[in-house]
Amino acid sequence: MARGLELLLSAVLLAGLYAMMAYGLGLIYGVLRIVNLNHGGMIMVGAYLGWYLHERAGIDPYLSLPIAAVVGFATGVVIYGGLVRYLPRGPAGGVQSLLLLFGVWLVLRNVAYLQFTGNDQAIRTDYSTKAVVVLGSALSLNRLIVFALAALLLVALDLLLTRTYLGKAIRAVAQNADSCRVAGIDVERIYTFTFGFGTALATMAGLLLGTLFPFNPTFGAGELLKSFVIVVLGGLGSVLGTAVAALILAIVEVFAILLLPAYLTGAVGFVLLVLVLIFRPGGLFGQRVLG
Amino acid sequence: MMRGPKPSLCSEVTMQRRSGSFPLALAASLLAAAACKQSTPEKSSATAAASLPDKIVIGATLPLTGAEARIGGFYKEGYELAFEEAMKAGGILVGGKRIPVTLQLLDDTTTQATAVSLADRLINVDKVNFLLGTYSTALVQAQSSAAEQNRIPYVNGGGAATAIYQQGYKWIFGLLAPVELLADAIMRWLDIQQKSGKLPKPSIVAVVWENTSHGKDFRNGVSEFAKSHPGDYQVVLDEAFELNAKDFSALINAVKAAKADVLLVDAHLPDYITMQRQYVTEGMCNKVLSYGARGSEKQAADALGQKNVNYVLSAVWWNSQLGSKGLNKHFVDIFRAKYNRQPEWYQALGYETARSLFTAIEQADSVDREAVRAKLASMEIESILPGGKLRFPAEKGQQAHNPFVVQQNMPDGSAPIVYPPDVANAAGVAPRPDCKG
Repeated sequence: MARGLELLLSAVLLAGLYAMMAYGLGLIYGVLRIVNLNHGGMIMVGAYLGWYLHERAGIDPYLSLPIAAVVGFATGVVIYGGLVRYLPRGPAGGVQSLLLLFGVWLVLRNVAYLQFTGNDQAIRTDYSTKAVVVLGSALSLNRLIVFALAALLLVALDLLLTRTYLGKAIRAVAQNADSCRVAGIDVERIYTFTFGFGTALATMAGLLLGTLFPFNPTFGAGELLKSFVIVVLGGLGSVLGTAVAALILAIVEVFAILLLPAYLTGAVGFVLLVLVLIFRPGGLFGQRVLG
Repeated sequence: MMRGPKPSLCSEVTMQRRSGSFPLALAASLLAAAACKQSTPEKSSATAAASLPDKIVIGATLPLTGAEARIGGFYKEGYELAFEEAMKAGGILVGGKRIPVTLQLLDDTTTQATAVSLADRLINVDKVNFLLGTYSTALVQAQSSAAEQNRIPYVNGGGAATAIYQQGYKWIFGLLAPVELLADAIMRWLDIQQKSGKLPKPSIVAVVWENTSHGKDFRNGVSEFAKSHPGDYQVVLDEAFELNAKDFSALINAVKAAKADVLLVDAHLPDYITMQRQYVTEGMCNKVLSYGARGSEKQAADALGQKNVNYVLSAVWWNSQLGSKGLNKHFVDIFRAKYNRQPEWYQALGYETARSLFTAIEQADSVDREAVRAKLASMEIESILPGGKLRFPAEKGQQAHNPFVVQQNMPDGSAPIVYPPDVANAAGVAPRPDCKG
C-alpha cells in the first residue's frame, strides 16, 4: 500500500513535468495546425539559458523563468514572422513546415555545439537534492515546484483562452480563420502571438527540465517525442486534454514497473498512443478545440 | 637523421570543422580531401623495400559532434599525441627507414550510418593503409563490419562490448577490456571488504543496468561473480532501465524495498546524475554504491555536489595515478606538456590504440595489411594499461583483457585507486560512513 502511494505521488509529479513539456506543442498545433518540430530545439535553448544565467549571473533558475518567457516569445515571433508565415496553410503546408522547423532545430543544435560544446551540463542549486516529506514519502522539492508551475500554467492558460478577448480570438481562429477575417480579427497577429507564446512555453519547460536533468545540445529530442505522444493522446488542440493525458501517461509508465521490466516502461506510452489512434483517433478528449 | 615533415593537411581536415565558419571549413575540407586523395600512397606490396610508400596514412573516425562529442574529443587528443610522438621520431620504422605517418580523421557525428559510410570512404576512396577505431560500442560495432569486409586492420580503443568480438572477425582488435571485468573488479574489492568483516555475509546485492550491451555485460559480470561465490552474495534485484530516463523513482523504490547492502548500477553520465539526484533526494544510502565506469567525473561532482558523490566506487580502464613510472609516466608527462592537464582514460586509450598499431607495423616491417594483422594477432608488448602488457588473445575474439582499476570518491575530492592491490594507493572505505543508522 505504502509503495502504491509512493508510486502514485511519483506519477503525479512526473505528470507535471510531462504537461509542462507538452503545452506549447499542443497550443501551436491547435491554432496553426503546424507540428512545431523546433519545440525540442527550444526546450534545449531553455535549459542552456537557465544554466547560463545561473552560472554566469548567479540567477536562480526559477527567477530566470520570466527571462526565458521573453526570450522564447521573441524567438517564436521571429521564427513565425521570418519563416513560418510564408508556408502554405492546412494540409498542403504539412511537409514544408515539418522540414522547415526541423531545419531550424538543427541550426539551433549546431549553434549550441559551437557555443557550449557537446559536454553534458547540469544546473545545481542548493535545493537540487532537497526533499519534502508528503504522506510519508520523500518528494523532490524541485519536482514539486515544477508540478505546481504546471498546474498554475494550466489554470492560467484556461483563463486566458476562456476569459480574455485575446483567448477567445485564438479559439475562434483555431475554429475558422476565414470567418475570423470577415469578423475583423487580425488573424496573422493571432498566429504570431500563438507561435510566440507556444515557443515561450517550450523555452520555460526547457529551463525547468534543466533543473532536473543533465543536458547537452541533443537535449529536447526525447522530450519532443514524449510531448507528441501526450498531445495526440489528449486530443490535438485541447489544453485540459494535454494535462490529463500527461497524468495518464505518467501513471501508466510508473505503475508499469509492477508488471514489466523497467526498461520497457518507456515503451508503454507508445503502445497507449497506438491504441488511442486505433480506437479513438481524435484523442481521449475528442476533437475539442482549445479550452 | 630525417627531419619530421610538415604537419599533414589530411590530418587537419576535420580538425578545421570544429571551429571557424562552416562554409569555409567545408570548402577547405573538400579541397583538402581531394588533395589527400591524390597524395594517398598506393597499396604497397609489403616486402620489397623499394615499394614502401612515401608515407603511411591511417584513417579514423571519431564522434567529434553529436552525443559523444566530448569523449570523441578526448580520443582525438590521444590519437594526436601518439602521431605527434611518432613524427618526432621521424615516422614509423619500416624496411630500415622512417616513414612519416599521418592521421586522416573524420567526424562520424555519433551516428552509426555515418561511421560506416566514412569508414568505407577512408578504405575505398582515400585508400588509407590502416584504420583506428571510433568511440562507443554502438559505433565500433557498426564500423567493424566495414573493416572486416574490406580486410583492413582495425584497432579500436572505444568498443568494450563482447558482442563486437564474438563475431569471429579476424581484422578487428580491441583495447577496451570487456565490461564483465569491470563488474568483476568491483566485486573483487567487495570480496576483500567482506572477508575483512566490513560487509555482511551474505551481502545483499541489487544490480541495475542500462539496457545496452554495455549494461548487459556489467550485469553478467556481477551475476557470474555472485554465482561463483555461493553463500557470499545474494542478488535480490536485477533490473534494466532505458537510457536517458526521466524518472527513476519506481526503480529506486524497488531498490529501497530490496533492502540491499550493495547497489551496483551501470549507467552513462546523464543517467548517473539523474538517478543519483533522485537517490539522494529519497534519502537512500546503501553500504556500497557504484555506477560502473562513472563516478569520479568532475561534472558529476559539479552537478550533484561533492557530498552527494562521496564514497561512490567506479572502475575504469586506466587512471593517471598509474603514471608514476615507465611508459605510464612517459605518457602522463607528454600529455601534460601538450595539454597542460591530467589525462583521463579516454586519452590514454586513444594514445595506446594508435601506439599499438604503430608497433605492429614496425614489427611487421611492412605496410602489408595481412602482415600487420598477423603481428597484431600475436602481439605482446609493454603497455600503459593496467597489468602492464597488451595482447589481443584469439580465444577472446582479439579483445584485450587487461584488469580494471577501481577508484573511490573521497570527501576531499580525490579518487584514489583502491583495487587491484598492486597499484592501489588507498584501501577504500566500506561501509559508507555517511549512511545514517
